[in-house]
Amino acid sequence: MAEALIDRQFLERLERLTIHWQKSFPGLVGGHNASRFSGSGQEFLDHRSFHPGDDLRAVNWRAYMRLERLILKMFQVEPRVPVRFLLDTSASMATGDPDKFDYARKLAAALCYVGLVRLETILVQPFADTLHDPIAVGGGRHRFQPVAEYLSKLEAGGKTDFLKVSRQFLAEYPQRGLLILISDFLDDRDAEKPLQYLADFGHEVFLIHLWSDQDRRPPWTGELEVEDAETGKIVKMNFDDESREAYTTAFDSYAAAVRQMALRKGGKYVGVPTSTPVEEAIFGPMMLARGIY
Amino acid sequence: MFFLNLSMAEFTALFSVLGGVVVALYLLDRSRKKIKVATLRFWVPADKPPEAKQRRKIQQPLSLLLQMLGLLLLLAALGQLRWGSPEHSLRDHVLLLDTSAWMKAKDGRRTLLDSTKADAITYLRSLPSADRVMVVSADALATPATVFESNRNVLEEAVKSAKAGSSALQLTQAIDFAKQMQRLHGRGEGEIVYTGAGRMADKDDNLNLPKNFRLLSIRKGGENVGLRKVSLRRSAVDGELWEVFVTAHNFGIKPRVVPIALAYGHAPVASGRLELAPGADQSGRYEFRTKARGELEIRLIVDDAIAADNRAIFELPAQRLLDVAVYSDEPELLRPFLGVHPWITPKFFPTRAYSPDTKAAIVILDRFKPAAAPKGQAIYIEPPSGSSPAGTASPITAAMRLSWRNEHPVGEGLRTGDVRLERGEYFPGAVGSTVIAEADGKPVIVALTEPNRAVVLGFHPAKSQLRYELAAPLLFANILNWLAPEVARQKEWNGESIGMVRVAVDSNLKAENIQVLNEGGVALPFTLAGNKLQFFAGAEGMVRVITGGREQVYSLTLPEVAEKQWEPPKTVRRGLPGRFSGGASSFDLWQWLAMAGGLCLLFDWLWFGRIRLHASTAGQQSIGGWFMGQVSSWRKAG
Repeated sequence: MAEALIDRQFLERLERLTIHWQKSFPGLVGGHNASRFSGSGQEFLDHRSFHPGDDLRAVNWRAYMRLERLILKMFQVEPRVPVRFLLDTSASMATGDPDKFDYARKLAAALCYVGLVRLETILVQPFADTLHDPIAVGGGRHRFQPVAEYLSKLEAGGKTDFLKVSRQFLAEYPQRGLLILISDFLDDRDAEKPLQYLADFGHEVFLIHLWSDQDRRPPWTGELEVEDAETGKIVKMNFDDESREAYTTAFDSYAAAVRQMALRKGGKYVGVPTSTPVEEAIFGPMMLARGIY
Repeated sequence: MFFLNLSMAEFTALFSVLGGVVVALYLLDRSRKKIKVATLRFWVPADKPPEAKQRRKIQQPLSLLLQMLGLLLLLAALGQLRWGSPEHSLRDHVLLLDTSAWMKAKDGRRTLLDSTKADAITYLRSLPSADRVMVVSADALATPATVFESNRNVLEEAVKSAKAGSSALQLTQAIDFAKQMQRLHGRGEGEIVYTGAGRMADKDDNLNLPKNFRLLSIRKGGENVGLRKVSLRRSAVDGELWEVFVTAHNFGIKPRVVPIALAYGHAPVASGRLELAPGADQSGRYEFRTKARGELEIRLIVDDAIAADNRAIFELPAQRLLDVAVYSDEPELLRPFLGVHPWITPKFFPTRAYSPDTKAAIVILDRFKPAAAPKGQAIYIEPPSGSSPAGTASPITAAMRLSWRNEHPVGEGLRTGDVRLERGEYFPGAVGSTVIAEADGKPVIVALTEPNRAVVLGFHPAKSQLRYELAAPLLFANILNWLAPEVARQKEWNGESIGMVRVAVDSNLKAENIQVLNEGGVALPFTLAGNKLQFFAGAEGMVRVITGGREQVYSLTLPEVAEKQWEPPKTVRRGLPGRFSGGASSFDLWQWLAMAGGLCLLFDWLWFGRIRLHASTAGQQSIGGWFMGQVSSWRKAG
């Protein structure tokens, strides 16, 4: 099933990558990102004076013999930060050519594999208007198979509601971590504010914005009968080149606003057209954005 | 106006269907496109209002009209629409393509036939497309290669596949055939077109050319010398000697001296030179000696226009000899009768040496009673009483006049004057056609067929008055011919050209005694007029003419090259026809229709197609833009 989404050659190329995040999350261990918080790690960080209640095993007895003061050794904590994927499965993802939903699943599978190789704790959370049943895995690359099967069975449908989903997510997952959001960010209402909530809560957001070429620049002209894939609403209009230019400008403006929000909140943003192969997207724009390296 | 292959109703129906499809496509093209998108938030309608409110109405009738008109015109052009009446417009021509033997003659690097084919194809391409043509291969027989056909590919293929035959051109017959074809199967007046070399076998120079005859081209070949007739036979006096008679002909206008070579089994056996005056025959006689079977090649060593008539090959059989055992105590009496035939090897034995198991084909028993009858064919001469196979023998006691009965092959051609038999015997029991000779009405020579063929002579020819008569050796020759016809038959090989073959036969020969057989043994039709037998062979092969004791084998491999060069009258139409200008005829419209159809579609595309959009965005800088501007202003004004 894994081969259905990603071929083995591509997986071998993913072996050398690491999902990267910038924030430090206190109280968490594991992973490969150094923490600025002290704890019960293995690497020495600093000394401080002993306070009652401190662990006696951390007392530097050699310093005590020389200085006759109790000095405590402090060690660097290696936190195991949760890596969560929010995968948009709304009906709008099933439009365009190539299919955005299929592209999103492949992209999610590839990033999951990168995380599992680095022993991260992975959670894949699909959503549309609400959160759907997630899958949580960790412990190495051999756990990739369940994730791939899970992703393969997902189906697109439903209406996007970022505000509701954000609230649910914050309530469901109070522990901060890296949040990778793969979506076309096409909601009737702007998605910027709900995304801002997620960042403000303390998550490091990594927005992967997918669009098909038709989403950005519709090829049709003339008299059209346009139907919204999520709401079923139909609009009849006369569409010409000028309209197309206006459409593309509006789309680019919206994508820029989403990007600006992500960067402003210390997150990352990658915009990927589905005409770009998944492998090229990972080793190109995502590495440039330092989402992985 | 008529449509080539469709009636008006069929054409209307076809056009209605296609028109319906065009209208449907037109409406479909102008209906709204339905699309499903991810979101509607970015979609901004154009400033311009929709051009149409009602989708199912024709919004651009002029465009539809132009498309329909263009389609109609193109359809009519494809169908080769013509103006006029079909009865007066379609012409059926007959193309007489000369495929006679002379067309094998070289014309530079190509043959005359190749050049003629090129002329014929040029002619076919010059005709109006609706005209039908029948291609006829003309040599001794006019053979249609196609029916009346308008498909030029079929006609050109028939011309290209034509091959030069081996017979001479009979132009009169070919023209008659063409006229008959036009009368029976033609639809309208067409031309009879001849192209070829003009070498014909017709006797009369003044051909009765029809008014619609056209001479496309006459391509004369170069100088040519060829074998005209070759005869071979065994010598009448020497069984091993072959006599070869060769006749060659100079078809050119210059005298030629041509070497001739004969090879038997690839070994040269004779050679010579033939001095040939222009248009004249020259014969030569050659001999060679062999008993074995083999292949005789006769070759004229000359480089001329036609190579096929410079060589003739015959497969000759081995000499078959007839073994005859003669049991006689007076052999000298019989030697003169048997020694004259080169195909007989008589062996003489005394009567006491007789054995019925002798391997000789024929046994002659001279006046003795054998212990047992011979197992093969036999000649009994004056058998003793009681040993005659012809029954009871009675002695001749008084002189009796000898007479012959010619209805039997043994008695054929035998005549004697007042020959009387004074001794011998007759066979009173013999009756009917088995009696060869009678003495005063009593059988003295009898032919028997059971159990084997045998002839019984009641007297010894050399001991009677008959020995002074010519009938005596002839009698023995007839007897031997009858007993062993295959060996005795006189054979003659002739090499001749294909076509009509004339054979000289005996004037008293009856048709029922003549066989004309081809290689497969199938009888060929022939005519017999006096002493001339005629038969026709249209293809190369071998024909055997068997007339009694004579067999003539005709190897018909030499091409029949006509000697006469046709000089067509000056009034005859020549060359390629010009543009057809028949009075009440039709003419092609398809070029104009195709052009008009294309223009309709072009105008529709310019006025209503996508170029209008490009013209508007390009700022009308190009000629098309200027044109569109003019058109737009015209439309607004309209």
